[in-house]
Amino acid sequence: MKIPDEVKIIGEDIRSMKIRGAGKIARAAAKALGLAAQKYSGPNNPEVFKKYMTMNAEYLLSTRPTAVSLPNAVFYVMNALEKASGNVDELRSAVIEASQRFINESLEALKKISEYGANRIKDNSIVLTHCHSTASVSVIIRAYEQGKIRKVYSTETRPLYQGRITTRQLLEHNVPVEQIPDSAVRYIMHEVDQVVIGADTIASNGAVVNKIGTSQIALAAHEARVRVFVAAESYKFSPMTLIGELVPIEFRDPTEIVPREWIEKHHNVEVLNPVFDVTPPEYIDAIITEHGVIPPQAAIFILLEKMGWVLEKIKLGRLEKIRLEDLLEE
Amino acid sequence: MSSTEYLFKVIDRLLSNTSDPLSFSKIYKMIYDEVEKTRPVNTASINLLREVGRYILENGFNGISEFLDTLRRRYEDACSEAARIAANRVVDDDVLMTMSNGVCLRRMFKFLVDEGIRFSVYVLESRPGMEGLDLASYLDRLGVKTYLIIDSAARFFMKNVKKVIIGAEAIAVNGAVIGKVGTSLLCLVANESRVRVFVIAPLYKFSYETLHGELLELPEGDWSYLMDEEIRSGLPENYRARVPLYDVTPPHLIDGLATEYGLFAPQAIPAIIRQVYGEFPVRTEDLEIIVNRVIEVLSR
Repeated sequence: MKIPDEVKIIGEDIRSMKIRGAGKIARAAAKALGLAAQKYSGPNNPEVFKKYMTMNAEYLLSTRPTAVSLPNAVFYVMNALEKASGNVDELRSAVIEASQRFINESLEALKKISEYGANRIKDNSIVLTHCHSTASVSVIIRAYEQGKIRKVYSTETRPLYQGRITTRQLLEHNVPVEQIPDSAVRYIMHEVDQVVIGADTIASNGAVVNKIGTSQIALAAHEARVRVFVAAESYKFSPMTLIGELVPIEFRDPTEIVPREWIEKHHNVEVLNPVFDVTPPEYIDAIITEHGVIPPQAAIFILLEKMGWVLEKIKLGRLEKIRLEDLLEE
Repeated sequence: MSSTEYLFKVIDRLLSNTSDPLSFSKIYKMIYDEVEKTRPVNTASINLLREVGRYILENGFNGISEFLDTLRRRYEDACSEAARIAANRVVDDDVLMTMSNGVCLRRMFKFLVDEGIRFSVYVLESRPGMEGLDLASYLDRLGVKTYLIIDSAARFFMKNVKKVIIGAEAIAVNGAVIGKVGTSLLCLVANESRVRVFVIAPLYKFSYETLHGELLELPEGDWSYLMDEEIRSGLPENYRARVPLYDVTPPHLIDGLATEYGLFAPQAIPAIIRQVYGEFPVRTEDLEIIVNRVIEVLSR
């Protein structure tokens, strides 16, 4: 039994970051598992099929070990396999069906989030957003279509200025938007009615891992009694955090901040470039998911309801040690 | 340009125009208009212009060069003394966080190095303007272990920090500090982590106008503070940016003002003013009136 080429092509595209963004990675992985099931040509033995699928799942998991959406997509599909019974054909269609269902749900999720999120925006609002998040931009655009948005402040988001992407997208939808430097968020906060931001990962306690700067924006909002909403699909919730795993924070190349020559000229200066920070749940008023608007402390609800099977596995040990072969023993 | 650099430049410009009353009156008025228009919260220059005006109205034009020299020395000493007092709060193995690139702030770091204190510093790059890069270069030359981070990363690293020490553009009567934009966010983040905040604030930065309830109006800039023409041309035509240049840090987020008269709570400003001037509130004429009278006197 070997991994089909179709699966490997997707896996390598995830590894090389040709496929990037939490949503796209998740959908690609689900699609790859569906393809793997289609391509199975082994004996008509359910145990062998399960083993084959597990091998494909583990391969996909290895392509981007830190992205939370990837294992969530893989576990979603593998959960359907575990719950299914019958001969290989029946198991195969369970996997294909789960793969398609994940993709559809993920695409539907954005639409639902934009609706639920827009409902939370008050009339005549000034909204502040940070970085570029597809989910928050769709919430803002939807709220603007409903006539609720007076103005948007979009932070530049150093070092890579993703705020310019946000500003451009909002302008394309005629949303009035002004860019501000990241340092100006407390200055501007007294004019702001609501903060809408995205998330990279959400931990089991409701802490939100997102672009660096998010946590001090949430702090400034909290100080000014401005509400903070996080727009995030459920596959951004991290089951691993339930067993105390820390969400690793990536430090990227310092040349994103200053040129190489500057760094080489300053031997006593170390340029530190963390990409994400952690916003504690007490600074977040609600997380807007496709399953509804929840308080951050109820993140566990999404994890238990949607990731129950994963949790069983995870309690046995760290994620990298989870043996999907356990499937065979049940 | 930091507030004290700006102040010293104003003194230099006045000093190089002391040959005759008429040209002095011209440059005096020109500087006044410039400050009002481009640097309205540079209280150091406003205070300087007021002191110079008072001198001329009381003593005439004679001895103006010596008076300006005396003022310069007084400001120099105040800046150094405030820096030294702030430096006293730093002990071995302290980790500091700061931003921008003030003259008195640099002097404090120099004092610490001269005294052989072991410390390291997180420096925010301080957009717009990126003065943090210049401060990091200065610290590099002093041999201080320095971490350069983006403004957004202040809260990420605050847990590692023992003290925040910053400069100021102006001090209001209630102890509020007007500083480079981002100062108030940095102080809020420090406060949340129970990290102490000290502001180096020689008294020439005190805004006497605020004694009478005047509000300081903070200037703002546009996209040109954030990017060059080339990047702007790649953005949509209706792209707009709002760039505040200063912000106000409320006194409750500040643990101490380091002045040439010592370190005290920001709320204690009235007590210090009373000590220094013997009265509170002190007599403060409207600068515009002074300027007009000076022009009148000098053109006679």
